[in-house]
Amino acid sequence: MLAILLTIIVGIASTPLRLQAAEPDLKPGDKIGPNNWQRIQGMVGENFLNRVKAGHTIEIKQPKLYKPLKEYADATAKYSGKVSLGPNGELLNYVAGQPFPNLNLKDPQIGQKLAWNFFWRWLGDDYQTGGAVKGGKIIRYVIEKDGAERRADLTSYFIFPKTRYMLDPKPAIPGYEHIDYMQLRVDSYPRDAAGTTTLEIRYDDPKRADDLYIYIPSIRRIRRATTTQRCQTLAPSEFNLDDINSFNGKITDFNYKFLGEKKMLANLSQERMPFPRKTGDYLPLDEKWEVVDTYVLEITPKDSSYCYPRKVLHLNKMTFDTHWTLIWDKRGDYWKEQFGMFTPVKLPDGREAWSVGDVTIVNVQNGRSTIVTSTRAYNQGYPISMFSLATLETVMRGGSIR
Amino acid sequence: MIFPQRWCMKKKQGRLFLAVAAFSLIACLSANASAQSILGNDWEKFFTEKVSFGGYVENTTGLSISHGSRYFNTSNRFIMNRFVVQPEFNVDLSEKFKLFLSWRFVAEPRYSAETKSREASVQPAGAGGPLPVDFYSEYKGVPWEAVADIFPNDRLHVRIGRQFISWGETDGARLLDVINPQDLTFAPPAAPNLFNLDETRVPQWGMRMLYTVRPVSNTIFEFFANPGFEAKKDRVDNFAPTNDIGDGTADGDLRYGRWSSHPEDRTSVAAMFANPVGPVPVVVPLAKRDYPDAGDNWKIGTRIKHNFGALSVGVGYIWGYNPQASDMVFKTKGVPFLLGPPGSPTPTGIRLRLVNDRTNLFAAHFNYPVGDVFGIPIKSAMRGEFAFYPNKPYNISEFPAKDCTTNTVFLPPNPRARRAGPSCDHPDNLVEKNTIRYAIGFDRSTFIPFLQDDPWRAFRMTFQIFQTIILDHEEGMRSFGHAQKINQVSTLLTFRVNTGYLGDTILPDIFIGYDVAGYYIVNPAISYQPPWNEKIKMTLTSAIYGGRNKYKSLGFFSEKDSVFLQLRYQF
Repeated sequence: MLAILLTIIVGIASTPLRLQAAEPDLKPGDKIGPNNWQRIQGMVGENFLNRVKAGHTIEIKQPKLYKPLKEYADATAKYSGKVSLGPNGELLNYVAGQPFPNLNLKDPQIGQKLAWNFFWRWLGDDYQTGGAVKGGKIIRYVIEKDGAERRADLTSYFIFPKTRYMLDPKPAIPGYEHIDYMQLRVDSYPRDAAGTTTLEIRYDDPKRADDLYIYIPSIRRIRRATTTQRCQTLAPSEFNLDDINSFNGKITDFNYKFLGEKKMLANLSQERMPFPRKTGDYLPLDEKWEVVDTYVLEITPKDSSYCYPRKVLHLNKMTFDTHWTLIWDKRGDYWKEQFGMFTPVKLPDGREAWSVGDVTIVNVQNGRSTIVTSTRAYNQGYPISMFSLATLETVMRGGSIR
Repeated sequence: MIFPQRWCMKKKQGRLFLAVAAFSLIACLSANASAQSILGNDWEKFFTEKVSFGGYVENTTGLSISHGSRYFNTSNRFIMNRFVVQPEFNVDLSEKFKLFLSWRFVAEPRYSAETKSREASVQPAGAGGPLPVDFYSEYKGVPWEAVADIFPNDRLHVRIGRQFISWGETDGARLLDVINPQDLTFAPPAAPNLFNLDETRVPQWGMRMLYTVRPVSNTIFEFFANPGFEAKKDRVDNFAPTNDIGDGTADGDLRYGRWSSHPEDRTSVAAMFANPVGPVPVVVPLAKRDYPDAGDNWKIGTRIKHNFGALSVGVGYIWGYNPQASDMVFKTKGVPFLLGPPGSPTPTGIRLRLVNDRTNLFAAHFNYPVGDVFGIPIKSAMRGEFAFYPNKPYNISEFPAKDCTTNTVFLPPNPRARRAGPSCDHPDNLVEKNTIRYAIGFDRSTFIPFLQDDPWRAFRMTFQIFQTIILDHEEGMRSFGHAQKINQVSTLLTFRVNTGYLGDTILPDIFIGYDVAGYYIVNPAISYQPPWNEKIKMTLTSAIYGGRNKYKSLGFFSEKDSVFLQLRYQF
C-alpha cells in the first residue's frame, strides 16, 4: 500500500504540470497595478512584479496571433520525421524546419527537444538586427542604478546557410552545411567604438567552439578572440555571450528540464520602437501586455564552473521565441531577469512575420539594466561572401556594410 | 612683398578653400546619386539617409616628471598641450560605392624645454634656432583620410585614396605593420595607452584590392600599391631620435622634438664612419636625411589569407620603400676630406646620408584559438607574425677603432682609442644580412573575482614576445645613430592587461614592455567614462622609461618620464 502511495506521489511530482500561476482570467482592457498585482503573479518576472507592486500599472490587450510561415511548416513536415537525438543530445539527421513538431510532454527527452526547437525556430534565411528600426540600427541603452544612461548604436547581420526556406539556394548553401549560422556585428556609435566589426561563426559540430574575429579600428587589424569564456559580461551591458537572443549557448553544452506549461504575460505587438519610458528607468510605458501560452524550460550547465547554474526560459508555443528569461546565481539568489517584446514585420514578399522588438535585461543585484531595440529585417538576400573576413576590413568608422 | 607669416596664412586659407570646395563637390556629386535636386527635401533626405557624421575633439596635456639632466632639464615642465579636432564623414552613395573622408586639425604651441635643449646642444653654439610654431601642428586642407570604396561585385573590394593598410596580428607594437609610416615626433614611443597605433600612423595615397576567392574558408587575395606621391617626409617614419640628423639647412631636418634623444647622447657618429685624415682627431659629420624621390618610393604588396579549420593563416610579400626608422642606415658619400686647406689643423669631414632602403619583405601571420590542452584550460587566442628581410642593410664598425692601413688598434693616448671606428672589412661601413623578425602573442580573458565588482567582468591579458634574429651575424653591427652594437638576437617582451569597473565607467589598462637587454617602458592608464554621457572620456596616463643606460632601446627616453591627461569628446 505504502509502495503504491509512494509511486503515486513520485509520479505526480515528476509529471510536468501546469505550473502554479495566477488564474488566467485576464481580459483585454484589464488594468493591473499595486492594488491587484496578485492577478499576474507568476506570469511575469519577480522583479517586474515588484515594480507593479510598487506602483507601475499595465494594461492587458487582445492577443496577437501569428501564422506559421508556409515554407517553414513545409520543411518541418518534410524533414522532421527523420530527426532524432544522439547520445549526447546532439541533433541527428536534421535538415530544416522545426526538429520536433510532435511533442510528447511526458517524453524523458522533452527538455532537449524543446531546446532544439528553440534553436531552430524560424528566424528567416537571413536578417539584419535593427534593420526594421528607424535609422536601421540597434539602439542600446545602459541604465545605471541611479538612472544615468549611456547609448550605443550597432547593427548585426545573421545568415543561416544550412536552413534556407525562401532564398536560393535551398535548403542549404553548398559548402556551408557544417555552419549553423554566421553573424556580422558593426558598432557605429559612439565614435571610439565605431567601426569595431565582429564575425562570429557557429558550427554544427558540438565539439567545435565558435569562431570569433574582431576588427579593431584603433589598430586596424583583425584579432582572433576566444569564445570559450562565454560568461564574461559584455560590459557595459548586463548581457554575456550566451544571453544573446535569450540563450545563445551551444545546445549540447547544457542539460534541459521541462518544467511544465504556463501562461505568461508578453507583448507580441509592440507598438513603438524603442518603447516609451521614463528616462533612467527600463519600464515600458504605454505598451500593453497579453496572455500567451509557454513551455517552461530549465537550463543547467554541464560545466560546473559556468556562471549560470540555473536559467529558465519561457518559450512561446507557436514561435518558440522567449518571452521571459530568469537567471539565478550560484548561491541560488535571483540574479537577472530578461523580457523580450515582439512586433509584426513585413517580409520582402509582403507577408507578415514576427520579430523581437525591445529586449530588456535587469540585473536585480546591482540595479543596472540594458535595453536593446533590435527589430529585424528578414530575408535581405545577403551574399554569403559578405560573411567573410574581407568584410571586416571594409567598414570605416561610423560606416556600414555594403 | 609677401611676408612669410602672411604667406603661411594665405596658404592655410588656400587649404581651407580646398577643403570646403572638396566637401561641396562631394555633396553635389552625391546628390546626383540619390536625388534629382539638391534643394529642399531631397537634400535633407540625402543627408539623413546617406551621410553619417562623427569624430572627436581632444586635448592632451603632458607634464614631464623626470629630473632631466644638465642638458635637458625637463622636470615639471609642460611638454604637451595638443589640441585635435577630427571630423569624419561617411557617404553611402550606393551599394557599390562609398566614401569616407576625415580631416585632422592639430594645434600645439612651441615648448620652451625643447627650444632650450636645442639651443644648448646644437653645435656650433647658437646655431639652433627656435622651433617653428607649427612643428607638431596639422592644418592641411588635404583630408587625413579620403577613400572611395568600390564593390564591383560581391567578392571584390577596391579602396582607392589616402588610406591606412595594416598587416599583422600584434598589439601595441609593429612588426608587419610597415606599410604606412608612423609619426612618433609627438607620441611617446611604445606607449599605446596614450596614442594608439591608428593615431600615430601617417596615411598614404594608394589602392588596395581584396578579392574573396572562397568565402567559406576565408580565402582572400589582396594586392595594394602605394605610388608615394606624398610629401617626401610623409613617406618615412618621423621617428624622434632621427630628427636630430640634419644638415642644418632650412628644410626642417634639424629638429629637437620632445622625444629626441638626450643631447649628450647625440654623439659624433662621424668617427664611426671615417678616421681622421689629418692631425686633428676630430671627424665632423655632414649628415643629411635622404628622403625618397618620386621614382623610387613605390610600394606594392600582395597577400593571400586562408583558414585551415580553426587555423587562420596569411602569407604575403611587400616590395618597396621601408618606412621604418629603426631600419635606416647611414651611407657615406665620397671619402673623408679635410674641412680646411691642406696642411692646416682642421678636422676631417665625412658626408653621410641617412636612408631608408627599398626592401623585400616576405611575410606570414597566423592565429589560432587554443581551448583545453591535456585538460588544462588554456582558453587563449594564439597569434604570430613572421617577417623575412633578405639582405637587410646594417651599419658596422670596429670595436675598438683600428687604423685600417696597419690593421692595428688605436691605443691611448690616441683619442680614438677604446671608441668605435670605421669598419676595415667593409669600407662603406655597411653589411647586408638576412634577417628574421617574428612575434608570438597570447590573448586571454580571465576572471579574477576578488579584484572585481562584477566577478564576471573579465580581465583581458595579452602577452607578446618579439624577436629579431640576424643570420650570419658579424661583430660590430650597430644601429646607425650610435655605437651600441646589435646582438644577433634581440628580444622584447610585452604584457598588457585591462578591465572595466562599475559598468565600464572606470577602465584601467597597463602596458609593459621589457627589452631583455635591460630596458623597459611602463605605460599605465586609467580612464573614466561617465555613466551619464557616452561621448566623454578622460584618461590619466604616464610613460615611464628606464634601463641600463640611456644610449639604447627604451633607455633613450629614460629621463623623459611623463604624465598626461587626455580629455576626449566624441561627436
